[in-house]
Amino acid sequence: MKANNAKTLILVLLAGLVLLTGCTATKTAKTGVTPVEDTSWMFHDIVDAKFVKAHLAVPMPENVMIIDARPYKVKYTKGHIPGAVSIPFSEFDKKSNLLPKDKNTLLIYYCGGLKCKLSHKSAKKAEKLGYKNIKVFAKGYPEWVSRKGNYASVSAEYVAKQIAENNTVIVDARPQKTKFNKGHIPTAINIPFTQFDVLSGKLPRDLNTPITFYCGGLKCRLSHKSAAKALKMGYTNVKVFAKGYPEWKKTYGESNETLQVQAGKVEGSIDLERFKSIIANNPESIMLIDVRDADEFAKGSFKTAMNIPVEKLEPKIKGLPDDKPVVFVCPTGARSGEAYYMVKDVRESLKDVYYVEAQIDFKGDGKYEIKELK
Amino acid sequence: MFKKSIITIMVFIFTIVSFSMAFASEGPDGNKRKGKYTYRKVYKACAATGEVESKTPKMSPADKTMKQWKEIFKNKKFDEFGCKGNWAELSDKDILDIYSYFYHHAADSPTPAKCQ
Repeated sequence: MKANNAKTLILVLLAGLVLLTGCTATKTAKTGVTPVEDTSWMFHDIVDAKFVKAHLAVPMPENVMIIDARPYKVKYTKGHIPGAVSIPFSEFDKKSNLLPKDKNTLLIYYCGGLKCKLSHKSAKKAEKLGYKNIKVFAKGYPEWVSRKGNYASVSAEYVAKQIAENNTVIVDARPQKTKFNKGHIPTAINIPFTQFDVLSGKLPRDLNTPITFYCGGLKCRLSHKSAAKALKMGYTNVKVFAKGYPEWKKTYGESNETLQVQAGKVEGSIDLERFKSIIANNPESIMLIDVRDADEFAKGSFKTAMNIPVEKLEPKIKGLPDDKPVVFVCPTGARSGEAYYMVKDVRESLKDVYYVEAQIDFKGDGKYEIKELK
Repeated sequence: MFKKSIITIMVFIFTIVSFSMAFASEGPDGNKRKGKYTYRKVYKACAATGEVESKTPKMSPADKTMKQWKEIFKNKKFDEFGCKGNWAELSDKDILDIYSYFYHHAADSPTPAKCQ
């Protein structure tokens, strides 16, 4: 008896469900609530992020061009798909000379997402010009940066602004001796890609810190490979300045070590904040000489410092390098200041020489505390 | 009455502190770092001529008080240093730098220094 009741109940419930579904479907069909979107403005060949990624390479192949149709200054400079060329729709005619000569080249247009028409309109214009292989990545830049493992590429203007506002850590992924030491973007730290695993400790502890990698230009892969490694480490705000140092030199002129070191208030002294920053981020970029006696040095100094007691310095001055700044240190500035004036007296031609006018407490194991002298 | 006393004490303290600060900031304004190098250079040159045995200077800033150094440099009484010829070759700027080094590292200064 009980089993019969249960069966009846299930049947009633099922019937109700069918009726409800039927009613809903009928209602929708009758009222036509579902809007039919006008998609006539869209280009006829749409691709997804996977398609774009499959055609990305460093350097970009000659038969593929990814084109950012958004405005240059407000959008492209702040972030774009690596390798993308900027041809804003508003400047299509003016910049059509940037398009490849070969009309069979694959052109992939994108802009600011599904509601953005710029890429579609550009694609249609390109089609009229005779290009035969055109696609539009309709979900565009927002989709690109939201996908795991992807990162944006930025322009020189953006990098310069970030440096001025102290908003990002700039990482030079090129080799130190042959490239970085000969010139680099100011404030950049050097983590050559080949030593990434060893030197990744130089990266900030906070995984949300913005990091921008660069290397030797559009044909250089080191910054891209480093960015991929940083993303794997968990960094959430990784960018690549793909045009790299060649573009930086072209835009802002050549930079070298002398720009990195900044003179302090007292004659011959190095700016204290800059010194702290160099020691923390890029100590190899300077030749650091601890001029205390050997027994004092043995108790602790900077990790990259070499020991030349001031009494023994004079005969060694001619051997000091002239391709990187020389900085003298001691606990108060007295002996290092003496060393500075000795170099100025003995080898006047050596221009990049400084001393640290500060109180430095060496605590052993490379630890130290630096305070301004009162 | 009590209020008046408080104000008097405050004015007195303020005067003492201001005076001390003014006194503390007194002293030569030469380049003491350069002065140290120049002073040692004098003795190095002097030792090279054989006038003194050691190139390490025999006099250190901590050998005298600020007042004593002030007296010596004001009156240019450098006989005690020896190496008279080398001292005679120094410019006024060099002497001011050396004076600054001695004064700011005198025995009664916050950072007395010895020439090792």
